[in-house]
Amino acid sequence: MPLDTSAYSLALLRVDGRRWNELRRIHAQIRTQAAADGSSYLEMGHTKVMCVVTGPSEPGPRRGTAGAGAAGASKAVAEVAVSVVVAGFSSVDRKKRGRNDKRNLELQSTIANALAASLHTHLFPHSVIQVSLHVLSQDGSLLAALINAATLACVDAGIPMTDYVVACTAGSTSTYAAGDESADPLLDLNHQEEQELPGLTVATLGESDRVAVLVCESRVQVGRLEGMLAVGVDGCKQVREILDRVVRDKGKRMVLEGTVAKGEGLEDMDLD
Amino acid sequence: MASLKRSVGSDPLAANISSKVYVRSTKSGKVQKIVREVYLRQDIPCSSKLCQSCLKVTPRDAAGRQIPFVLSEAPAGTSVFPQGHYLVPDTNAFLSAMDLFEQSSAFYDVIVLQIVLEELRNRSLPLYNRLVGLTKSEDKRFYVFFNEFRLETHVAREEGESVNDRNDRAVRRAVAWYGEHLARTKAKKGPAVVMLTNDRDNLRKAKLEGIHACSLAEYVKQLKDGDRLLDMIPDTEDRDAIKEKRPNELLYPEYLTMSKMMTGVKSGLLHQGTFNVSPYNYLEGSIRVPAFPKSLIILGRENINRAVDGDLVVVEVLPRDQWKEPSTKVIEEQAITRNENPDAEGDDAVSERERKALQEEAKRTQSKTTEGHAQPTAKVVGVIKRNWRQYVGHIDQSSVIQSAQQGQKQDTVFIIPMDKKIPKIRLRTRQVAELLGKRILVTIDAWDRGSRHPVGHFIRSLGELETKAAETEALLLEYDVQYRPFPKTVLDCLPKEGHDWKVPESIDDPGWRGREDLRGLLICSIDPIGCQDIDDALHCRPLPNGNIEVGVHIADVSHFVKPNNAMDTEASVRGTTVYLVDKRIDMLPMLLGTDLCSLKPYVERYAFSVLWELTPDADIASMRFTKSVIKSREAFSYEQAQLRVDDISQQDELTSSIRALMALSKKLRQKRMDAGALSLSSPEVKIQMESETSDPIDVKTKEHLDTMSLVEEFMLLANISVARKIYEAFPQTAILRRHGAPPKTNFDELANQLRVKRGFELSIESSRALADSLDTCVDPNEPFFNTLIRVMATRCMMAAEYFCSGTQAYPEFRHYGLACEIYTHFTSPIRRYADLVAHRQLAAAIEYEAVGPGVRSRGRLEAVCKNINIRHRNAQMAGRASIAYYVGQALRGKTTEEDGFIMKIFSNGFVVLVPSFGIESLIRLRDLAEPEPEATFDAENYVLAMSGSKDLKVELFQKVRVKVMDRKDVTTGKRGVKMEFVKAY
Repeated sequence: MPLDTSAYSLALLRVDGRRWNELRRIHAQIRTQAAADGSSYLEMGHTKVMCVVTGPSEPGPRRGTAGAGAAGASKAVAEVAVSVVVAGFSSVDRKKRGRNDKRNLELQSTIANALAASLHTHLFPHSVIQVSLHVLSQDGSLLAALINAATLACVDAGIPMTDYVVACTAGSTSTYAAGDESADPLLDLNHQEEQELPGLTVATLGESDRVAVLVCESRVQVGRLEGMLAVGVDGCKQVREILDRVVRDKGKRMVLEGTVAKGEGLEDMDLD
Repeated sequence: MASLKRSVGSDPLAANISSKVYVRSTKSGKVQKIVREVYLRQDIPCSSKLCQSCLKVTPRDAAGRQIPFVLSEAPAGTSVFPQGHYLVPDTNAFLSAMDLFEQSSAFYDVIVLQIVLEELRNRSLPLYNRLVGLTKSEDKRFYVFFNEFRLETHVAREEGESVNDRNDRAVRRAVAWYGEHLARTKAKKGPAVVMLTNDRDNLRKAKLEGIHACSLAEYVKQLKDGDRLLDMIPDTEDRDAIKEKRPNELLYPEYLTMSKMMTGVKSGLLHQGTFNVSPYNYLEGSIRVPAFPKSLIILGRENINRAVDGDLVVVEVLPRDQWKEPSTKVIEEQAITRNENPDAEGDDAVSERERKALQEEAKRTQSKTTEGHAQPTAKVVGVIKRNWRQYVGHIDQSSVIQSAQQGQKQDTVFIIPMDKKIPKIRLRTRQVAELLGKRILVTIDAWDRGSRHPVGHFIRSLGELETKAAETEALLLEYDVQYRPFPKTVLDCLPKEGHDWKVPESIDDPGWRGREDLRGLLICSIDPIGCQDIDDALHCRPLPNGNIEVGVHIADVSHFVKPNNAMDTEASVRGTTVYLVDKRIDMLPMLLGTDLCSLKPYVERYAFSVLWELTPDADIASMRFTKSVIKSREAFSYEQAQLRVDDISQQDELTSSIRALMALSKKLRQKRMDAGALSLSSPEVKIQMESETSDPIDVKTKEHLDTMSLVEEFMLLANISVARKIYEAFPQTAILRRHGAPPKTNFDELANQLRVKRGFELSIESSRALADSLDTCVDPNEPFFNTLIRVMATRCMMAAEYFCSGTQAYPEFRHYGLACEIYTHFTSPIRRYADLVAHRQLAAAIEYEAVGPGVRSRGRLEAVCKNINIRHRNAQMAGRASIAYYVGQALRGKTTEEDGFIMKIFSNGFVVLVPSFGIESLIRLRDLAEPEPEATFDAENYVLAMSGSKDLKVELFQKVRVKVMDRKDVTTGKRGVKMEFVKAY
């Protein structure tokens, strides 16, 4: 069995050989399902998720009765409905999660709120944007991966949005109880680090410093929070670069293949 | 349809990513396959000061700091590598000879590979922690090289290759890389990189690949003081030879496999517990398991099956016809196996003499088994975890072959450990002549089925037997007391002003924040003579409403020791100050303990005060807690204070306040006694030392003064008040102290003895009942009898322990001995870590400071409690052992006659307690007369009647006259008190 996270101080190397400020390998693809309105597949290390976006479309008959109180509000803007399905084989132990699993519900509402902040939902009154997320493999930073995949799929679906919503996690090299003053912040936690160290998930709107999501479920000294947040926001910028490259590459390829025509104003875009 | 497949070439990072796949099984028996990412990189430095290229790529942490390079540019050489060398040991080198690496004479510039560190962690956590400690010490120059993360040294497991072979290959690969890498530096003759391994196959492959490699023994021989170090390498070849032995030459039964034991324990057929050896009979052990109310006994070498005191073992209960009674006979290892030959191996596990001793035992028990005295007896079938540590001992003179004393040949000798419960250890050494008559530190390496005694190796010599330095160090090592001087990092945490530190004059200073000014109160402290670390001080003054204000002021240690700094960590490891007769091993550096924190008289000091308003009947009307500044008016000794109180001519304010405190304390004590507090006893003595040479000259029993109980009562009151407060504030994480009610069975023996011998009934339903029935056990002719019973009752009690309030239900908080619901330690923060934690919790509870993680984290507190419980017990035992040693020294060359009492009786001897020296000793029948008198032992009535060479009848609780002298045992080399029987009263 490999060493645990306490070995960091020996050579400033994390359990998987990264430095404190390095992301894991991110691999992403969009338009993975031709039949869907928008789709994406994203890997952050061994965390693998896929996303399918349907809509904006008319709400189905079943959905109308659900929220009577919020009905007035949801008519003016499109509703973002997120469903997260965690595959039984995604983690080491096969675990069955119920439909109304509390963690799952929280994931869904967090992602829905984050997307709603960036999507121009006011353009689509009386409609629903259905975001279906599937977790194929889990190795930490699940929420961040889900948000990133959902953003990509929304881009693919062509839903107008202000900017990418990009997320990543940040942590700290020593536990809360160790109370180590000189703890380094960490970027992009994997599963083992998530288990052993304090961490948070942060999502920002594109390259700006505007934080769209901030979730911290572990105990951490308030003094370390600022450093962690700074590292997290910086990570989000790196993630945006990567996602943006994925979108542009795909676009280029589609233009080259002739699937779509080159858009107006893009005549001078370099396709090589 | 879009495809999700991608080609390997499309990913620029693919070459740098590998994965680590391994299989692990969980506690519940599930098997999991874990896949982890591994990012390979090229910016992991070699950390050699010779290397320029690595300097450019050294990593920085978030604050931009670099880790300085570790390995020296001019490492030491050996006879084979005169140009200097770096060492790369493999896992087994560390596993078998960690002590070697901790030597200060050699083993510098060591490269610890990540793979080695990982393997070591899996095999032995303590060794891993020691190695990590070594890598952090600056002067040893140990560098951890993360070979698994460096692109060039990462090795993927090949098909059909075992994990061990793969790891060996990884080590060789790293050594080769280091060699190539260093060759590229500008140094003309770079240091050699030498792999250390004891694996023959690995050595052979290394030679083939052209890598420098040595076995541990080969390497050590190249060093200057090689012969000395050579003893510290365990004999692996020896063990290989044993493996090849035929099965009928094996002495002990084989252990069951781990999985077999686990399933056995789960199904309830086998039992798991900690193995304890009886202090009187080394062939008898006992084990407490949850399934039985009384402990199981384990008799005989074969049943004990290589378990050593403290090991976590699995036992199987023997069939009923093999059940035995616990032995009533004293069997000492030294006496029975005195003339064993350490070189001879093959005979039976049970030697002729042992067999004889056992046979007699068996005969006796056989005749009685029908009466149902036999107890469930078990045998050890496996060891879950060895609890071996380093043992202090000395060479058994009789095991040394005379001719060998001069030669440099390796000899096998026996080590007799100081701890009687540990078996003799077989040791091979080249320095018999040098080590003879010295206290030495050894460790056990293994205990094979083919060897009667465990095999160990030598670590270091502490000095001549019986010299004060060696004996004190031996004692400290044996009880695991941290006695090294405080490291610099700890001393750096002290206030910069040093001894000139003063309470700031200006009230606006941040030090005064939230503190009450109590400098005007008439505060004084009462402590033993010569006490330098004054923890507590008291005051009392009448209030206008007729009530009395009483204050207990405790040194404010938490002001100086901030949580989680180096000093706090060191204190939490030490746990307590250890008091030996001539020495004090402090928990906190001297500056704090005896000066800045100590509530010395006439100077201002920070304190943490508990203030009560007590009614004249000593009921609490109100109380409060506050941080304060005080100025003690006087530091009394108990004796001085007592004289002052007794002297009616002294009518000053201070004296009358002590008198008022005295009156209150008596009322408080009465209340406690009414509630059922026990007054227990242990024979305590004081050693008088000659002031200049600090040689002991006399032994005196401790006197009890009223002023002692005065201080004690108010400290108890403070502790109880604080316990309530912190429990109220932190119901889950308050640090408390409990004393469990002793199980009824603990008193069976004593109650039976009292009933049979004296007709007293001991009732143990509650502490109250016990206290009352102990009061009735009085012999009008013998005032000491009651104390004797109390001493024996104390030994039946459970030990009090620290715990974290979230781990127990409220009724379990009870302190049995003090008969109070809740209790903690608050009043001695200079010498106990628990008190320091309680201070922090109380400070947080009264909102003086923020709630720190140390106060809030339950897991952390549990770990702290566990450690300080062990430290506390060790400190007590070390203190007692120190007193025992000095009693022996004080008696040296003297012979006195004293009165004693028989407190335990065996079929071949009895134990006598001499109260005036606080010592007990065994008198064997064979010491009474020559030849050994015939004796009949009446176990029911605790009477031993002798006939033949000596006509005598002794019984339990009898008063006897004994001659006390000191004597050096020829075989054990131990100086001890010896008693000789004079007459019975």
